Amino acid sequence: MIGPDAPTVLEARDLVRSFGAVRAVDGISFAVREGEILGVIGPNGSGKSTLFNCLLGQLLPSAGQVLLDGRDVTGMRPAALNRLGVSRTFQLLQVFPQLSVRDNLILAGQEHVGSRIARLFGSPDAGLGAAADRMLGLFRLEALAAEMAASLSYGQQKLLDAAIAFMAGPRLVLLDEPAGGVNPTLLAGFRERLRAMNTEAGATFVVIEHNMEFVMSLCTRVICIAQGKIIANGAPAAVRADPAVIEAYLGD
Amino acid sequence: MAALLAQLLLTGLATGAIYALVAIGFSLLWQGSQVVNFAQGDFVTLPAFVMLGVMGYGLPLWVAMPVALLVSLLVLGVLFRRVLVQPMLRHGVMPLVIATMALSIFMENAMKNVASAEAYPFPGLSGGIDLGPLFLDWQSAVTLLSAVLAVLALHLFLSRTRTGRAIQATAQNPAVARLLGINVDRMILITFLINAALVTLAAVLISPAYLVKFNNGEAIGLTAFCAAIIGGFNQVRGAVAGGLLLGVTETFAATFGPDQYRAAVPMVLLIVFVLFRPQGLLGRREERRV
Amino acid sequence: MSHARHAAVLGAALAALVLAGLVSFALQPYGIYLLSLWAVYTIAATGLNLTLGYAGQVSLAQAAFVGIGAYTTALLMPHGVPFGVSLMLGALGCFVLGLGLGFPALRVQGHYLAFVTLALTTLAFLVMRNETWLTGGIGGISNIRRPAGFASGRGYEFLCLGVLACVTLLAWWLLRSPWGRAFMALRENPMRAASLGVDVRAYTLLAFAIGAALGGVAGALYAPLVQYIEPSPFSLDFSLALLLMVVVGGSGLFLGPFLGALVAVLLPEWLRFLQDYYLVIYAALVIVLLALCPEGLIGLAERHLFRRKGRA
Repeated sequence: MIGPDAPTVLEARDLVRSFGAVRAVDGISFAVREGEILGVIGPNGSGKSTLFNCLLGQLLPSAGQVLLDGRDVTGMRPAALNRLGVSRTFQLLQVFPQLSVRDNLILAGQEHVGSRIARLFGSPDAGLGAAADRMLGLFRLEALAAEMAASLSYGQQKLLDAAIAFMAGPRLVLLDEPAGGVNPTLLAGFRERLRAMNTEAGATFVVIEHNMEFVMSLCTRVICIAQGKIIANGAPAAVRADPAVIEAYLGD
Repeated sequence: MAALLAQLLLTGLATGAIYALVAIGFSLLWQGSQVVNFAQGDFVTLPAFVMLGVMGYGLPLWVAMPVALLVSLLVLGVLFRRVLVQPMLRHGVMPLVIATMALSIFMENAMKNVASAEAYPFPGLSGGIDLGPLFLDWQSAVTLLSAVLAVLALHLFLSRTRTGRAIQATAQNPAVARLLGINVDRMILITFLINAALVTLAAVLISPAYLVKFNNGEAIGLTAFCAAIIGGFNQVRGAVAGGLLLGVTETFAATFGPDQYRAAVPMVLLIVFVLFRPQGLLGRREERRV
Repeated sequence: MSHARHAAVLGAALAALVLAGLVSFALQPYGIYLLSLWAVYTIAATGLNLTLGYAGQVSLAQAAFVGIGAYTTALLMPHGVPFGVSLMLGALGCFVLGLGLGFPALRVQGHYLAFVTLALTTLAFLVMRNETWLTGGIGGISNIRRPAGFASGRGYEFLCLGVLACVTLLAWWLLRSPWGRAFMALRENPMRAASLGVDVRAYTLLAFAIGAALGGVAGALYAPLVQYIEPSPFSLDFSLALLLMVVVGGSGLFLGPFLGALVAVLLPEWLRFLQDYYLVIYAALVIVLLALCPEGLIGLAERHLFRRKGRA
C-alpha cells in the first residue's frame, strides 16, 4: 500500500529524554512515510506520550533529532510546527470549553489563513465558515455548532477534539489515544473517518493507542515501545505475534 | 567600613528573617491548596493590632501574644479557609486570587476604621551589647534567633514527623495522598494553621521596627511574595534564601542608595529574577509546557 | 456566537452612551462629572477586560498605564501639543510599555504575573512621586487645561463619551475578529492553542499592549477632567479597583466593564451614609458575588434570565 519509495515525512533519530535518572525515551529512531498510519503501542509508562511530546516540541529532547521532511525541527515550538502542517490530539481532552463548537473549529484553522494583520481586518470567521461547517458535517456535530464545547458529552467532545486537529488540513497528525473512552458504536464511525482522511486527504498518521483491535484494524504499521526503547517494528499482525511484545505486556 | 558592613548585614538578616517567615507561610498555602494569598501582608498586621488591643487593657506582651496567636489560628487559619477559600476553590484559581485581593481591601479598611490611620508604636527590646566594633542590638539578635528557631522547628516538623510528611505528600499530590490514607482535608487545615502561626510570629518581630499601621501589609506582603519567587517557589529553603537576600539588599540599598526608592528594591529584584531566572535561587527549571 | 448577539451587545453599549449623554442635560455639574468619570473608568476597565477577561492574563498594572497616559497629556499639552496628539502618544507609549510588560508574562503565568504587574505599578508610582523635575512629585501638576471647545463640564463629558464610543467600536471589532478568538484561546487552553498554530507569545504580548494602550487613553482623558493630577490616584489601590470593576461587571463579557465602572462610580454616592465603611462593605460584597457567581453581575443576571449559551 505504501511504497518503499514514498517520501519520509517524520523521522526521529536517537531521541532521548530523561527525567532525572529515568530515561523515559531511551534512544528511539524511526521514520514515518507519507500516507502511512503508524501505530505506537506499549505498556503504560513505556514512554509513548513522552515520545509524542518530544516530537511535537512540547518537551525538549535531552538528545537526538526530530526531522520533518528531512529538515531538523528539534525543539521547534508547537505553534511553528503546526503551521508546517503537523497537528495533534492529546491524551486528555483538550478543547476550548467556553467557546462554541463552531468557534473551536474556526480557531483551529484561523492561524493558517493569511497574515495576522490581515486577519484583524478580515471577516470574523477568517473565511473559514464553510470549512468549519464541512468539518461539523463530517464529524456529525452540525446540530451542536452553537453550543459551548463545555456543554457537550464526553464522546462529542472527543469528536470535536479530533475535528479540531483536522481543521487546518494537516499533512501529519499525531493522535494520542483517540479511542480512549469512546463507545464502540462511535468508534467504528471514527475509524472510518480517520481512514477517509488518510485516503482522500492523503494525511499521514501516528497513533498511540491501547485498544489493540482499533490499532490492528486501522494501522498500516506498528511499533512497540517498552522501557523507552523500540522492541518491535513491522506489520500489525507480525508485531502482535512478536514474543518480545507479548513478553513486554505480560511482564507489565 | 567593615564594621558598618557587618552591622548592616546583621540588620538586613534580621529583617530578611521576618520576610522569610511570611514568605514560607505564603509558599505553604500555595502548595497546600493553590491559594495565592494577596492578603498575606495584612495577615501580619491583624495579630499586631490584636496584641495592641490586649495590651490596651494594661496586660503585658507575653499575655497578648498567645491571645493573638489564638485569634490568628481561628480567623486567619480556620475562618479564612472555611469562609473564603473553600467556597471559592470550586470556581478555580483566578476567582480565588481576586477574592484574596478583595479580602486585602476589606482587612485594611476594617483595621483603618477600627484603629484609625495612625502608626502605633509596639514594644520591642532596646539596648544591646558592644562586640568590639560591632554593636549587636537585642532586637535584631532576638529576631534572627526566633526566626531561625521557627524555621528549624518547621523544617524538622515537615521532614521528621509523620504528620509533616503527610503534609508534604498532600502538597505534592493530593490524589495520591488520599490513596495512601492521608486525611488530606486535615493536612490542608494544618497548613493554614502553620501560616497563621508564622504571621503572628512575624507580627511580634516586625512591629517594633515598622510600627503598626493599617496598610503596612501592602509592603510586607509584596516583599514576602518577592522573597518566595526569588528563592524559588514551592520550597521552604527557597523562601528563606529569598527573604534573607531581600532583607540584606534592601538594608544596603537604603543606606547607600536613594532612600525614596527603597521600596523599589524587591520589585526590581523580582522582575530581574522572573526575566532571567524564573525558577528562583534554589528552584529547578520547570519543563517547557506551551 | 451568533451575529445577532454580537450586534445586540454593541447596540446595548452604544445605547448606554447615548443615554449617558441625554441624562447629563438633567444633571448638576457633579452628576456630569460622575458620568465623565464613568466613561474614563469604562475605557480603562475595557482595556483590562481585554487582558484579564478575554486573554486570561492577570494584570495589576492598569493604574500605572492610566497614570502614564494622564502625565503624558498633562506634560505635553502646555507645550502646545494638541489634546488628540497627546492622547495618541500616551496610548502609544503605554502600548510599547505593555509589550515590555508582556515579556515577564511569557515566563510566568497567573498569580506570578499578578505580582510582576503589581511590582510595575509600585515602580511607576515611585517614579511619579520621586521624579519631581518631571512630574512635580507629590505636588503634582495643576491647571491642566481642557481642549478648546470642550472646556465646559458637559462639553468635556461629550468628549469622554465620544472617545468611549470609539473605544467601544474598536474593542468590539477586535474581539469578534480572529484575534478575539485567539485571545480567548489563551485563556481557555494555551497548550492546545499552541498546538493549533496560535502564536501564544505574540498574542499574549498583544493582549497586554492593547489593554495597556486603552489604559493610556483613559489617563489622557482623566487629566483634563480633574485638571490636577498627583501620584496617589495611580497607586496600587486603583489597579485593584479597576480589577474589581471588571470582575464585578463580568470578566470576559463585553458589557462587564460598563456595568462594573457604573457600580464603582455610583455605589459610593448611594452608600454615603456608610462613610468610611464603604470600602469594607464593598470588598465584602465583591467576595460574596465572587463566591456566588464568578461571572459577575451580568453573569448573574444572565443566569437568571436566560439559559447561558455563549459569552458576549
